[in-house]
Amino acid sequence: MRLTSILPLALAGLACAACDLSVTNPGPVQDDQLNSPAAIPALVNGMSGDLSFALGNFLGGDGGPVMTDELTHSGNFAAPNDYESGIITSTDVDPDYQNMQRARWVAEDGLRRMQAVLGTDFESNPNTPRAYLYAGFANRLLGENMCQAVIDGGPAQSDSVYFQRAESSFTRAYETANAQGNTTIVNAALAGRASVRAALGDWAGAVDDASRVPATFVFYAIFSLNSSRENNDLANQTHVRREMSVWGTPWAATNADPRTPWDTVFTSSGKVQTGNDGTTKFFRQDKYVLLSDDIPLAKGTEMLLIRAEAALRSGDTTTMTNFINQERDVYGMAPVPVPASMDDAWALLQFERGAVLWLEGRRLWDLRRWHAEGTNHFLDGRDTCMPIGASELASNPNLQ
Amino acid sequence: MRSPGMSWLIALLVLLAAPAAGAQQWPDTQPTVHGPRFLLASSSSPVPVDVRRVAVLRRRIALDLPDASLDEALAAITAQSGLRFMYSNDVMRPSGRVHIRAQEITVAAALTEVLMDAGVDVVLSPNGQAMLTRHEDPRAPRRQNGVIVGTVVDAATHEPIATATVVIEGTRLGTMTNDSGQYRIPNVPPGTVTLSARRIGYAKQTQSVTVTADREVRADFALARSASALEQVVITATGETRNRELGNAVSEIDSASISRAPVNDVQDILVGRTSGVTVLGNSGQPGAGGTIRLRGVNSISQGNSPIIYVDGVRIYNGSTGTSFTGRQTTLPLNDIDASDIDHVEVVKGPAATTLYGTEASGGVIQIFTKHGTAGRPQWTVGVTQGFNNVGHVGPKGDPTGMFLNDCSGVHTSATGVTFQDITCPASGSWLRNGYVQQYNASVRGGTSDVTYYVAGNYEQEAGVLPEGGNKNGGVRGNVTFRPATGFELGLNTSFTQRHVDWFADGNQGQSALLNISRGASSSFKLGTGCASGVTVCLNNAELFDATSFTRQHHYITGFSAKYDAEGPFSARLNLGYDYDDYDLQTEFPFGFEPSFPQGELLGAVRNRTLLTADFAANWKQGIGRDVLSTTSIGAQMFDNRYRSTDLQTQNFAGPGIPVFNSGALTGITGAENSRVINAGFFAQEVVAWRDRVFVTGGLRVDGNSAFGSSFGLQAYPKVSVAYVMSDESWWHVPFVRSLKLRGALGESGKAPGAFDAVRTWSAVAAEDGQPAFTPNQIGNPNLGPERTREIEGGFDLTTADDRVTINATYYAQHTFDALIPVTYPASLGFTSTQLENVGELRNKGIELTASGDIFRRENFTWNARLNYTWVKSTAGDLGGRTITIESLSRTFVKEGYPVPSYFGYKVTNPDAFADPIIDSSAYLGATFPNQIISPAMTFTLWKNLTIDAIGEWQLGGHLLNATAYQNAFVSQTWQPCFSVQEKIRAFQAGDANALDDVTALQRARCTLDGSQRDYAFWVEPTDFFKLRSVTVTYAIPPRLVRGIQNASLSLSGRNLWTSTKYSGTDPEVADIATNSFSRRDYYVFPTYRTFTATLRFGF
Repeated sequence: MRLTSILPLALAGLACAACDLSVTNPGPVQDDQLNSPAAIPALVNGMSGDLSFALGNFLGGDGGPVMTDELTHSGNFAAPNDYESGIITSTDVDPDYQNMQRARWVAEDGLRRMQAVLGTDFESNPNTPRAYLYAGFANRLLGENMCQAVIDGGPAQSDSVYFQRAESSFTRAYETANAQGNTTIVNAALAGRASVRAALGDWAGAVDDASRVPATFVFYAIFSLNSSRENNDLANQTHVRREMSVWGTPWAATNADPRTPWDTVFTSSGKVQTGNDGTTKFFRQDKYVLLSDDIPLAKGTEMLLIRAEAALRSGDTTTMTNFINQERDVYGMAPVPVPASMDDAWALLQFERGAVLWLEGRRLWDLRRWHAEGTNHFLDGRDTCMPIGASELASNPNLQ
Repeated sequence: MRSPGMSWLIALLVLLAAPAAGAQQWPDTQPTVHGPRFLLASSSSPVPVDVRRVAVLRRRIALDLPDASLDEALAAITAQSGLRFMYSNDVMRPSGRVHIRAQEITVAAALTEVLMDAGVDVVLSPNGQAMLTRHEDPRAPRRQNGVIVGTVVDAATHEPIATATVVIEGTRLGTMTNDSGQYRIPNVPPGTVTLSARRIGYAKQTQSVTVTADREVRADFALARSASALEQVVITATGETRNRELGNAVSEIDSASISRAPVNDVQDILVGRTSGVTVLGNSGQPGAGGTIRLRGVNSISQGNSPIIYVDGVRIYNGSTGTSFTGRQTTLPLNDIDASDIDHVEVVKGPAATTLYGTEASGGVIQIFTKHGTAGRPQWTVGVTQGFNNVGHVGPKGDPTGMFLNDCSGVHTSATGVTFQDITCPASGSWLRNGYVQQYNASVRGGTSDVTYYVAGNYEQEAGVLPEGGNKNGGVRGNVTFRPATGFELGLNTSFTQRHVDWFADGNQGQSALLNISRGASSSFKLGTGCASGVTVCLNNAELFDATSFTRQHHYITGFSAKYDAEGPFSARLNLGYDYDDYDLQTEFPFGFEPSFPQGELLGAVRNRTLLTADFAANWKQGIGRDVLSTTSIGAQMFDNRYRSTDLQTQNFAGPGIPVFNSGALTGITGAENSRVINAGFFAQEVVAWRDRVFVTGGLRVDGNSAFGSSFGLQAYPKVSVAYVMSDESWWHVPFVRSLKLRGALGESGKAPGAFDAVRTWSAVAAEDGQPAFTPNQIGNPNLGPERTREIEGGFDLTTADDRVTINATYYAQHTFDALIPVTYPASLGFTSTQLENVGELRNKGIELTASGDIFRRENFTWNARLNYTWVKSTAGDLGGRTITIESLSRTFVKEGYPVPSYFGYKVTNPDAFADPIIDSSAYLGATFPNQIISPAMTFTLWKNLTIDAIGEWQLGGHLLNATAYQNAFVSQTWQPCFSVQEKIRAFQAGDANALDDVTALQRARCTLDGSQRDYAFWVEPTDFFKLRSVTVTYAIPPRLVRGIQNASLSLSGRNLWTSTKYSGTDPEVADIATNSFSRRDYYVFPTYRTFTATLRFGF
């Protein structure tokens, strides 16, 4: 056999080896692998995880509280620097916009997948009410903070679209949980629906839902030390770093209020520690101390304040005060007297909502709607909501 | 599924078994003593060879010679078999008559018949020639062979020439000269031989030498300098090719140009030694790897690192994982010890790299290590001692050098805060001289059948801060075995271990430069014992308590089989194994304030395996008298496997050395286990006319496991032309000795990553540790490689009596179907980008190299080299998109602008004494330099004193000086802003005229209003000149060192001097952890100087 005759054989050997081009990469999960009943629990856990991630980052490193009067910027990050000046740009909000939209899409798309995979078992599956609940809270998070709505690559719509989708999802969460006897989700769904009905101006419906939620009920977005993705980033940015401070906010004057806990950090020389910007005094929020501290999504005390605000809107300051004192009682706080005027009543209600919902991602909506009604002036001269994220503007042909 | 390894094995066995096949067709015995004996040349004396095992002797031919001379008969055998004969008339009378008519007769039988009773033996050499020597009766007393000795010197200066190759033409007998230019070839059979001496940079010279038994004969050479590289052999995808045949530029860096230079690694070798190569240092951390680009940027998403081969084995061309706190990486490329490198070939563009297939569009760097030569063992030993040093750090007007040069005593900040660093070293500076030591030793030698090169090295260098250093050591063994004529088997193996200790650097809270340069705003301010009245007592030394290291093992082994006997067919097979594992670990000890009071340990364990199977075969055939056709085919497969596990543990119970279960919280924070295969084959045809016009056409076809399901195989074509015009008889152009024109057009590509084509979800945890999914990537079933088409043209000429060579190349690259990370609407759920084949890039440039002897006399020579590179990489049609590379670095890719560039806020009235007028989305400058000018000089005085110097300008690049951005505002310790900020304070206090002489740019950069500052104001040009190295070498006369063949002493300095207007610490640095494609100087420690003394000797 001549040497030259090895060539075809050698090439054949290599070519056969080359035939096998399969990739092995066991990390990423292919999409069709989720089309299984066995994958549903993790899919719904993911809805919860994406919602917590969106909320935690919005409150933490992305500086959401600085858009409002909840915290002052004391660090180096660029976006909160703008927020502190009342400037909210599409570029700055883009990470939060993406996180919030992902939380919404994951829940809504997941429900579509669950219906296809579970078929007739969909209604009775214990994950179904959970999924609807997360879809509701994700839509509410968007609705309360965004100026406009965009759904699944569509055109810009009124922000009320988010609230309408949230109301629908909370209703389905309530119905399926009620049928399954899941009291926690029933209460969470009612509380969520009450808040979005109020946002839509349906105060009667809001009061009806709110009155069915126990005063001490709390439903949380879950955080954990288990992995960095599960960390509460607000705790990270204020207890590991010094990016935001209570200094300079209305809550700095309420250091005995259990709803707005904070402390002062001192240097070794006894001076007040400054934030990471080197200049702002660092008053540290203590509502979330650990990276595993959960953030409330729905609370019975908020339900009392919805009922209080509904009463105020009807001019009944006595009933309003009654509900507020019920809420204060939950926190062991002394009752307050009935305000002497409507202006005082609004100030009281707005303070109470600010304190009860402090650092829960709800404040911008309250300030925005009160600003629109002329009962609060913090947002005067400032941007009042978050625009559509820059990435959506650049990539969505319906927005060009 | 067929195992790829099994297929390699089949191919290997087929290749190796071939010579032995068909043994039954051949006679068992040697011809009788009346006919010639068939012998194989060896280092001692020729040994009988089994004619069945020699392919050329088995070849069948037909002879019809009723009455021919011996000379004519041998010519007829040569014509049909390709076996060439050498003999002298003293040995055999060529006019003797022979009579032979035979069909299908083997070459061995034909020679036996033709040479019957001629009284000669046939001695086969490894390069396929046959020498006819006088037949000796084995029963007669054995005659001894002779010895050839001599010296090779420069014809003009009479300087000895080291590492010149001296061989007896047509045999395997040969050696290389030592540093004294001396050589010795033992065991040369008596007779007249043709002896040649050659060396890169010199014209080859031959002479006839008559060797007498038991005698030593002397043959000295005086080689004339020749700048022409036309006859140099380079290694292409098809095998060895003469430079004159190439239609594209290939740069070669040979060991002579680096033997005296203070090079630590391959990265250093590439700096300033050839055009078209950009090397950026990145960091002043010992062991940190740089950024290497060939011909600029032709990919946005797939990296622009060239692929790398070491002795035919492809190794991983990326960097190791980024150190958690060092924020730099090491380069596996740098594990090849510089003292082991014989030469480096740089193949720069897709027109030249087409046959290397997908992934080669960034160019190819081929590293060839030293191999053994026949002869007695030759030892080489090198010992280097020295130190690293950094001078003034930061702005020249800052007397404290950002508190690094001077940290002593009590300081008062611009805002009136008094502070003292109680932990400042007794020297009053954080800087120190870091000890450098390097040792290497090698031995090479062998017989004509087996040669070896064995080497070892150890290097240790400390950085210039209290922490940080690099230790690496390794061994190499290269063995070459020639079992039969034309056959060569090689085994090249190396092992390197590296340990890099990093100090915290870059954009993080523990960074040395960040904390120290911020003065009173350092995060480490819990010091005690400061002077009375000091308000802030710093303890910056604590930042060095955080430890971080990269521990790396790199094993490369390659097996090669090569067949290249005299004849039309040649082939080679390379099998390679590149294994690289590394541990990254960072520890914040228990009690580490202020970030991790209970401690934290971060780690990553990673390994990468790259398997290579590479086969190529060539067939040469003459067509008529003037045309030679060379047909090549080949196939390659690369199997890339990667595993990684990231670990984290926090909150230790107390002090001590933690492991990954020491903390109260432990977790696996990341894991990857991937395998990607790239396989393809090629065919190439080269048609040569009169050895001066070469037309090459080729096609590469590739498959890749990362291509989308709809994409299939990819074909990359190429065509090139080379014309050695000066070989024409009519060539009489004054001053131009040789001229080659060349042009090439070709394509190559880059493959997307594993799973880039598929819609995927990530498995994560949620609900306090419960399993969960989250969207990962939206997927694209049509995903394919991006393709780069390049056209290049140029010339290589020599002038000034062949003393000066000029190479010029213009190229234009067009990357189409560019893989662009496309952002999908977040309202569709997938927030990460998806690669799409939607972009277009254009990249063009000019490369110019001029080198040669400017002045050459006996006691003084002046050799100079100038490399010039101009490159322009521009984004073409991106579908109107702006590609965000790194928004905090203000780095984007936009249509019509250099790739990548800085964009953002720009002061449009920078020099006006007025408030800044801001353009919010302006082009600020290109990230990478677009011009590199590298002059190099070598002076030799009195034959034994040599001075080498290399400098480099890099022009056109920009860098975001985030250090200045932060220190100007956060700590107000940026000296260039001091006076401006003083005036701003005065203005704020009511002095309306305080800002009258403050420009708009100064106001923007030094603002005290946090809402008005922006990174973009600090994007600065990085134009710089660096004196890269200066070396003075004294060749110690052998008479002064008994028992030593050669010795030299070198004094070297590296990175000696920098000239730049960039206001930061170093225009070359970048915080690599931020993004590999954007560059941001975010508290990155500058590169340092190195001073060394090296003693080398050989024996």
